[in-house]
Amino acid sequence: MHRRVLVALALFTLTGCPRQELYVVLPNADGRPGAGKISVNEGNTRTVLDQPFASAETRGGQPAAIPPDPTEAQTVFKQAIAARPMLPAHFRLYFFLDTALLTPESGSTYRTVLENIKQRPAYEVEIVGYTDTLGSEAYNAGLSLERAAAIRDTLVWGGVDPKAITIAGRGERDPLVVTGDQVPEPQNRRVEITVR
Amino acid sequence: MRCVGRIALLGLLLLTCATAAPAFAEAPRIGQIKTVSGEAFVVRGGERLSAKIGDPVYESDTIETGSGGTIGVTFIDNTVFSTGPETQVALSQFRFDSSNSHGEMLADVKKGSLSVVSGDITHSTPGAMKIRTPTAILGVSGTTFAVKVY
Repeated sequence: MHRRVLVALALFTLTGCPRQELYVVLPNADGRPGAGKISVNEGNTRTVLDQPFASAETRGGQPAAIPPDPTEAQTVFKQAIAARPMLPAHFRLYFFLDTALLTPESGSTYRTVLENIKQRPAYEVEIVGYTDTLGSEAYNAGLSLERAAAIRDTLVWGGVDPKAITIAGRGERDPLVVTGDQVPEPQNRRVEITVR
Repeated sequence: MRCVGRIALLGLLLLTCATAAPAFAEAPRIGQIKTVSGEAFVVRGGERLSAKIGDPVYESDTIETGSGGTIGVTFIDNTVFSTGPETQVALSQFRFDSSNSHGEMLADVKKGSLSVVSGDITHSTPGAMKIRTPTAILGVSGTTFAVKVY
């Protein structure tokens, strides 16, 4: 009986305190369905938020889940969300066997990459080249770097700042499609590009 | 064996000091400022610098905004931060290895509002990114969330 009164009193006191902090899970910004997950930890209390607009607040030093309120979240975080940079984008370009020449489909993806870069007021571009397992490991290390360099050079020719581009070659390591050695595989002859 | 190792290490240290002293001071950038509006600053080693689009940010920097200011940063692991006005966020710890996407990140929200889209650090290791506030620590499994410290 006593305990119940105390709990009620504690609840009353806490809700009477001003809000100190607010935590809200937002719908995935990258367009994937649903929402992610965060946990709010204070001492031994752990509050897990894993639904769109799931929220918690801290009052009197104590975090607790509160009902989701999308309107309030969008008001409180309006400016922070509006300041969000364009999200990083990932692209894959494919090459003809044993060359640094793009396949025709990848030629049009290349143009998308260039447009994406030019939409950004400040950008960084990472290009990592790969090969299939045909040929020696050492040869493929060189070929993968050549592929990355070829795309860098084309981007620079297209007006992209060379200082903003980094390149690497991973040879036949990290294939997209795992094969045995000495296997030609079009999907593994690629560069992966991150633009951010 | 241990002694040989120590001597080698000493040699390496001396060599590094002699040939590459400036490289010691130059920490790797961990991100880049992508958006700025109004009063926006980066505090680095006690110095308060006006934030400009394209500027690098480093571990231990604090990003700060005044009334009406906002700032957006994208980190090298593709995590995206953006703040509202009257905000202070310290980029306390950041480590990221792009070859395997492993890393760790700790940011302290001292006041104001921060919106986050998590990147490769949380993709490869859920929980490796933490956001600390005056009263709590958030463990991040991904991806999009926001925190306000009043």
